[in-house]
Amino acid sequence: MSARPATRLRVVAVLLLAAALTVAVAGGASGERKQSGNLIVALRGRISPLELARGHPTPVHLRLASTLLTSDQTALPRVKRLEVGLPTKGSVSTRGLSVCTVRRLRNATSKGALNTCGAARVGHGVATTAVALPGQPAFTARARLLVFNGPRRMGHRSLLLHAYSERPPTSVVVPFRLARRRGEFGLTMAADLPAALGPWLRLAGFRLTLGRRYSFRGRRQSFLSATCPIPRRFTAGFFSLAKVTYTLVGGRQIGTAITRSCRAP
Amino acid sequence: MRTIEEGSRPLKVAVPLVLAALALMAGLGTAAAAEAPTRHDYVRRLEAICKPDALATQRVMSGARGDVKAERLKVAAAKFAKATSIFGGTVQKISKIERPAADRQRLRKWFGYLGRQERYLTEITVKLRAEEAIQAQRLTARFIHNGNLANNVVLAFGFEYCSFKFSRYG
Repeated sequence: MSARPATRLRVVAVLLLAAALTVAVAGGASGERKQSGNLIVALRGRISPLELARGHPTPVHLRLASTLLTSDQTALPRVKRLEVGLPTKGSVSTRGLSVCTVRRLRNATSKGALNTCGAARVGHGVATTAVALPGQPAFTARARLLVFNGPRRMGHRSLLLHAYSERPPTSVVVPFRLARRRGEFGLTMAADLPAALGPWLRLAGFRLTLGRRYSFRGRRQSFLSATCPIPRRFTAGFFSLAKVTYTLVGGRQIGTAITRSCRAP
Repeated sequence: MRTIEEGSRPLKVAVPLVLAALALMAGLGTAAAAEAPTRHDYVRRLEAICKPDALATQRVMSGARGDVKAERLKVAAAKFAKATSIFGGTVQKISKIERPAADRQRLRKWFGYLGRQERYLTEITVKLRAEEAIQAQRLTARFIHNGNLANNVVLAFGFEYCSFKFSRYG
């Protein structure tokens, strides 16, 4: 008799574990992929929290992960430009947020960058690159990414992406322009990758989390906010969350978009 | 007593017959392989069919999202009905195209997903017409998921207009 509750608990634990695994697998497989020639681009992402207010913006964090790979294991092409499109209805606020400059981040380690510009940080992540030096076998290098609120450039807001790799020791600052345009991905973050990276470094993917909550004049602010504008009788809505476009050397482009859902109480 | 020679007489007749049959089958196989299109040709032919239909879907679904937001579910249902009809027509047209021999199994799986997509679209239409919002919402989630699974099956084909894009549906 006394063994029954323990057995029940075990069954519940196994069921919960199975459910967790199912969710994990489903989450892992939820990335959308697109292939052009031998090049495959994949994008995964989500916003948190999933439950948003219907009428007014809720502070959110956005997670994106994108991978570039070749179907035949050949070397990746060089990426010249990276563009991330976000929903037009998402809002970005940098009101009262500290501003960092390229000069302050140049040649800094991740720790150094945080010491100098920590107050302006709006995101973090990891970039993966394939390094193919002549006469050496190719290897993978990972760089820690930090994203900072940058100064306005020609009327547009900017974000500064600081990438630092310990092996090989490399520090790069890439300014992204934040702009609005027409279309479903009306909020764009775009940057030309510096030619100074050289011909041997090939971007193979990135993981990025964007979001920051801060106070300004006693009021809570959020770098990213979103709403879930669905009618009362619905509990969830679907929207195009993000689109990533890689422009390769030679002008060819490859990209993919993802659709996700939001919930409203 | 049967000698070996006597016993092999039927074999002598059978061997050329089998060889002839094999040669005929091989010949037929070669002819079939010659007729089957390459993946590149197949993609080109399908895209030519899918493109006008994908654009038409985008046109008829224009504003559907706004209709749902404004709770004009019956108006949205009418748009979904048109999109379902276009989708069904496209699937019917592309299913008649000769498939590349090496991709037949994969394409059978893809067409299975497309059939399911059509059923989801039909069901979404029915639920929207009946103003059963939650049911329509659940089916939409399945429709998107199934569409992504379909895309993954034919990833290597590099379809543009024949691939599933939720953005086409309003």
